[in-house]
Amino acid sequence: MNSRILPRIAFMVFAMGTAALPVAAHHGWAGQSDTQTRVTGKVHKPVSLDGPHASLQIVVDGQVWDVTLAPPARTQNAGLLPATLKVGEEVTILGNRSRDPKRFEMKTVRVTAGSRNFDVYPDRIK
Amino acid sequence: MLPEGLSWLEASALGRAVRGAGVWSYATINLAHILGVATLFGSVLLLDLKLLGLFQRVPLSQLSLPTVRLAAIGFGIAALSGLCLLATNATEYTGNPFLPIKFGAIAAGLANVLLVHRMRAWRDRVLESFTPLQQRQLALAGLISLLAWTTAVASGRMLGYW
Repeated sequence: MNSRILPRIAFMVFAMGTAALPVAAHHGWAGQSDTQTRVTGKVHKPVSLDGPHASLQIVVDGQVWDVTLAPPARTQNAGLLPATLKVGEEVTILGNRSRDPKRFEMKTVRVTAGSRNFDVYPDRIK
Repeated sequence: MLPEGLSWLEASALGRAVRGAGVWSYATINLAHILGVATLFGSVLLLDLKLLGLFQRVPLSQLSLPTVRLAAIGFGIAALSGLCLLATNATEYTGNPFLPIKFGAIAAGLANVLLVHRMRAWRDRVLESFTPLQQRQLALAGLISLLAWTTAVASGRMLGYW
């Protein structure tokens, strides 16, 4: 009796768990605003090429923003290295802000420092 | 306590080593993690479905030999690579609800392994004759295992999307 019911329960649990997966927001761009915005601030923490995505932090009117860049290799190829931007240097970032207004996070497609553009996602620049 | 542990891990020699290992290091360790998880979950899935009553023509003692070994190897690879991944940017996971769910599920899965290995039905599995009660015990262990490891993998995947 049990040998008939238990496999069905197991498959149901497995199927439900699998079906629930795509519901959550994606790593990618779904959690970000559709429109691109520009923010100008001073470098708070220089470019880091560690982890799944490269990143840096800037300060805008006393507020620290997390600047999420492309994966490390792509960011490096765009010319952004840990030594490229100095703390305190003025930069402008272009990208898609987090949809959550309480989160100061920008998934960034272009970083501009002076006359230099670092396009980490050239095909996404609108 | 958890935030302090994450800060400590990130500042540890392991964290520094992984961060200093080049732009492809995270992706490469991530690959090892996926292969480890695939090996672990694939083996566990086969054995759990067997415990739940599927594959009746395959003797348990035959299937348990390769699956338990591969699951242990997969777990070792996944645990080591996972520690390296976490050490890279551990503090970013502070407040992430999927982290405690994941580690809770792993703990439950490992506790279930210990319990199964103490069961008489499991230790005498080479005899291939089980009482109805023993069959239900083995099936329950298989169900708990499947739930625990599915939860661990699912919450692990969700970690990056929080």
